[in-house]
Amino acid sequence: MSLPPPTQTRRRGARGPVADPGRVAAMVAVAGLVLSLAASWATAQVDANSEHRLLEWQTKQAGSVLSTAVTLLEQPLATALSVQQVAGRARDDTAFTGFIAPYVGSGKSFLSASLWRRDGQAMTRLASVGAEPGLASDTAALQAFLQRAFQSATTVVEQVTTDSGALVAWARADPGTGYAVYAERAAPAGRRAAVASDSAYGSLHYAMYIGRQTAPDALFATDVDPATLPLDGDTSRVTIPFGDTGITLVTSPQHHLGSDLSRWLPLALLLGGVLLTALAAWTTRRLLQGRREAEQDAATITTLYEQVEELYGQQRELFVRLQRALLPQATPQMAGLEIASEYVAGAFGIDIGGDWYSFVALDDHRFAFVVGDVSGRGVDAVAVMAQARFTLRAYLLEGQGPATALERCSHQFDIVADGHMSTVVAGVGDARTGEVTLANAGHPVPLLLDGGVRPVHVPPGRPLGAGPSRYEETTLRMPPGSTLFCFTDGLVERRGEDIDTGLGRLAETLLRSADRPVADLVADAVAQLRGDAADAADDVVALAIRRVGAG
Amino acid sequence: MGMAEFVTAAGPPAAPVLAVSGDLDIAAVDDFLHRAGALLGAGVLEVDLGAVTFIDSTGLGALVQLRRQADAAGAQVRLTNVPARVGRLLELTGLTGLLTDGPEP
Repeated sequence: MSLPPPTQTRRRGARGPVADPGRVAAMVAVAGLVLSLAASWATAQVDANSEHRLLEWQTKQAGSVLSTAVTLLEQPLATALSVQQVAGRARDDTAFTGFIAPYVGSGKSFLSASLWRRDGQAMTRLASVGAEPGLASDTAALQAFLQRAFQSATTVVEQVTTDSGALVAWARADPGTGYAVYAERAAPAGRRAAVASDSAYGSLHYAMYIGRQTAPDALFATDVDPATLPLDGDTSRVTIPFGDTGITLVTSPQHHLGSDLSRWLPLALLLGGVLLTALAAWTTRRLLQGRREAEQDAATITTLYEQVEELYGQQRELFVRLQRALLPQATPQMAGLEIASEYVAGAFGIDIGGDWYSFVALDDHRFAFVVGDVSGRGVDAVAVMAQARFTLRAYLLEGQGPATALERCSHQFDIVADGHMSTVVAGVGDARTGEVTLANAGHPVPLLLDGGVRPVHVPPGRPLGAGPSRYEETTLRMPPGSTLFCFTDGLVERRGEDIDTGLGRLAETLLRSADRPVADLVADAVAQLRGDAADAADDVVALAIRRVGAG
Repeated sequence: MGMAEFVTAAGPPAAPVLAVSGDLDIAAVDDFLHRAGALLGAGVLEVDLGAVTFIDSTGLGALVQLRRQADAAGAQVRLTNVPARVGRLLELTGLTGLLTDGPEP
């Protein structure tokens, strides 16, 4: 039952307390989020660069297409002027009309086209096809525009606003012949014109301005609400030649231009990173918490162990105190005698044995004594011991001889009922005469030290509890200086050895200490015989009575 | 030395025999009394102590208790093959007469 010392007891905290799982998990989460954000940001940057390049490339393409379209649009005007130059020498003004007519009308290239000739500083209209020119109502402006054409080597262009809407006006002149061609084209209604969704540029928003500036009044057409211009976000711009000025095309992406992977990768990285981070943080927390719980469990077990150990210790201490309380409290005294005793509790867990001794003064020179041993261990054994001790003491105080006292007791104890039996040596003596009468209930017999050492032959009767029995008495006379040594079997009994071997060892030990004071004699015997016992499990009681003085 | 072991067999003439070996001590007595008590019904029980290596006061007490239980039940217990060491203890404790066929002191 003896528990080994809890060697792990106070190692708690030797490796330091486990870090707070929540805190470590939070650190993991922060690190993971930072990494995820960085990866996501870098990918987003790559995607943004790629988007911008795609936009610029598409815008450049659109500029080329527009440039071609403008050239194709303007070509009939130049051709018409050339035709008129040839026909003009023949005084035929109808050549112009015949050539340009297919290009003019609703849904055609131009709303109106007209032929003019310079006469000095004035411009005279020679012919006109299609609608009345919107700019004709403002003759001064038209005159100025045509004058500009004569000073330019190329076609001149201008955006004009009239009562009927916005127009683009072209004028091309040949200073050599004095002819000029003038044409107008309507801007889209409200300046809005959607890009066909199946076009190569269906993924772009655009705003087209006449000229090199992007001022609101220069706007020619856009696919968005003009009020929202200029285009925001990532934009690209290209300017293509247009007459004596240019067309500025500004674009922005309607939606993502590159691959979907490139578009979603930053988000995927961010979401994946956040998920992995959450998982890592959760796992970290679980692992740390598991470790912490395991350590707490270990600490709890250690604490319980210590508590159990302490309880065992307390219980054992209580029992030993109980048993000692049942032994004589002070060394008995009687004139003519030196008395010494030892009691040693067995090392047997919390169980204690039932060894005891008594010494009673019957009067000033007569005494009685008992050494007994209750078989077995535990509180029950101590209870039987107490009962036997006080019963025997009562009979001896009453004046009964040791045999009678034992015989009466033998009727009062029963191993079947008590679970224990007791071996007892009881004696009554006279300090003046040295006469001692002994009776024995199955107990190891006392030894008499008188120069030598010899067992006192006291024929054993049954132990108390083994049924009613009769006991024989033996009387001896202790010479002055002799010592009667009574003991329990714990002093001599060893496993794997004859009882006589133990008795012989005791006799030798006593002989060596025979001349020493009686207290030392007892102490030596107990120390030496218990000292070499490998398993000193049993209790030991030893009582020595030495007769002193002259007899 | 060693834990006690018990073997039960039918001995001649058909009386049960409880053979005890090892240490008949405080650790073994409960088991011993339980097994032996269960065999008392046959009227005669032979307890073979031939292989007992050690017996302490509780072991002796158990033999006494068995004997007294047998008396109460009208049964007989015989100890056989008692080792000298055990016989010497019986003698010292005044139990020879009670437990064996030897004379009462």
